[in-house]
Amino acid sequence: MEMSMRKSSNSAAFRLFYYVFMSVFSLVYFYPMIWMLFSSFRGNSEIFNKPFSLPAKVDFHNWSKAWQIGKMSTYVMNSVIVTSLTVVFILLFASLASFAFSKLKFKGSKLMLLMFVFGLFMPMQSFFIAQNYIFDHLHIKNTYWALILPYVGMGLPLAIFLLKAYLDSIPKEMMEAANIDGCGNLRLFWSIIMPLLIPSLATVAIFSSLNSWNELLLALLYVQSDSLKTIPVGLLAFSSKHVTDYKLLFSALTIITIPMILIYIFFHKHIVSGLTEGSLK
Amino acid sequence: MHKFRLSPYLFTAPAVLLFSFTILLPIVMTFFFSFYDWNGFGTMKFIGFDNYVRAFHDHIYLLSYWHILIYIILTIFLEVFAGLFLAGLITVKLKGTSLFRVAFFTPVMLPMLVTSFMWRFVYNSDFGLLNAVLKFLHLDSWTNVWLGNPHTALYALCIVSGWSYAGFYMTIFYAGIQRIPNDIYESAYLDGATERDIFFKIKIPMIKNLVEVALTLCILGGFQGFDLFYVMTNGGPYNATEIVTTYLVKVVFTNGSIGYGSALAVVMTLVVVGVGVVLNMLKRNGNETLEY
Repeated sequence: MEMSMRKSSNSAAFRLFYYVFMSVFSLVYFYPMIWMLFSSFRGNSEIFNKPFSLPAKVDFHNWSKAWQIGKMSTYVMNSVIVTSLTVVFILLFASLASFAFSKLKFKGSKLMLLMFVFGLFMPMQSFFIAQNYIFDHLHIKNTYWALILPYVGMGLPLAIFLLKAYLDSIPKEMMEAANIDGCGNLRLFWSIIMPLLIPSLATVAIFSSLNSWNELLLALLYVQSDSLKTIPVGLLAFSSKHVTDYKLLFSALTIITIPMILIYIFFHKHIVSGLTEGSLK
Repeated sequence: MHKFRLSPYLFTAPAVLLFSFTILLPIVMTFFFSFYDWNGFGTMKFIGFDNYVRAFHDHIYLLSYWHILIYIILTIFLEVFAGLFLAGLITVKLKGTSLFRVAFFTPVMLPMLVTSFMWRFVYNSDFGLLNAVLKFLHLDSWTNVWLGNPHTALYALCIVSGWSYAGFYMTIFYAGIQRIPNDIYESAYLDGATERDIFFKIKIPMIKNLVEVALTLCILGGFQGFDLFYVMTNGGPYNATEIVTTYLVKVVFTNGSIGYGSALAVVMTLVVVGVGVVLNMLKRNGNETLEY
């Protein structure tokens, strides 16, 4: 009785303090993003003179101008193509390989698996110099493949380990029963393994697509032609052409950010678990 | 029967071949390039370990490791410990905490490039938000050219990194704290424990493993950063924020020294792998003493 009374009286002051503190704190945390949004509606002089006021009017003129001048539709399209192909290849190749590593016995499987373990720890800096040289000589620089190939290569190790860990937890009896029924490995894979893998594939798809959507270094080095640039490199090119047209830069950044935030709001449970699982394994 | 024996290799072939071509082969070739004086198209001159000797006398290269060290130490506080603190705050037994959880994770969703640009504007000396706040508070003498000043640029970058990733680590810790059984809290409350006691004596010890994982991620990730440094300062002013990758890009793609750049890349790879191995050993030792 005494305990519960003490607890509740503690809570009243604590609760007030907590909510006030957290609200102020998250407002400060959020403010740079709000400022970016407001500035995207302002004129250039307003950006300099009135950093804290609400924008005079919510005017999407800057946005449409940035979208057109910045060739954003091209960049968005390129990012969509590169990211979706990357994710499809990662999911397909990684699920095939992880099935073999987890459920089939064959010579050299340990060695191949070791190779992917090695891949988990290699920084991008360990290979991009020679990769650039190879791509240059095979004339695949300045194509989508110059990005898709390395993104798939970098994404495979983690994808294989996540999927293999999941398959390892599925009892082997299930496969054996199917095998006795005269099911070949390929049919076993499509009709039994793939449906079971779907939740894990979603996790892999989430972090793979975010990685390739945001990748900057390789995209900067391997793609020079403006019509093939992805969003990050496109934004860089845009910013160096319009260095002081801040209202357009703020608009371009806002246009790119808003879909990300919307996706996050709608799918936040999946995204959070996808990102955290992807980095913990 | 014959088909059955062949198939495992067919299943692994696409992944193995693609990985070998895009990652393994370039790693081996980079190692090979590092022993040559070469600009990418002229003749390759074998010079043994000369590139490595040069690397250890390269003032800017060595300085870039120092910057990475500072960056890692500061981001351990600004990302991992700040994330731990946030995780403690959002797991207090009150209503509405999930709203704050969603809020603090939002920066993780911004592409690093957008974050970097946005903060470049926040730090801008003419119209930037930070100087505007300082002027509003009548602290005009504190205003600064944050990214143009060699004394503040690196710290300014670390703060952006913290802003961006603290929510990510918070989420990892949050998942761990959620798994702590409820009756542990209940008996603690009955014993009159405050939220502060619960944070330090229950939450943190119970997620010790996750904190170790987060520290590993933060330390190894510290070597890999590029976007933030490239967009905000590209190593400047006066190399005050130069890190290995920004320097590598300059050596290889601006100066065209592929041989020397490869040696720098090999040294960095060895450093990253070495640090990774040491961290793994530390973690294993720590766990053994815990189990006994």
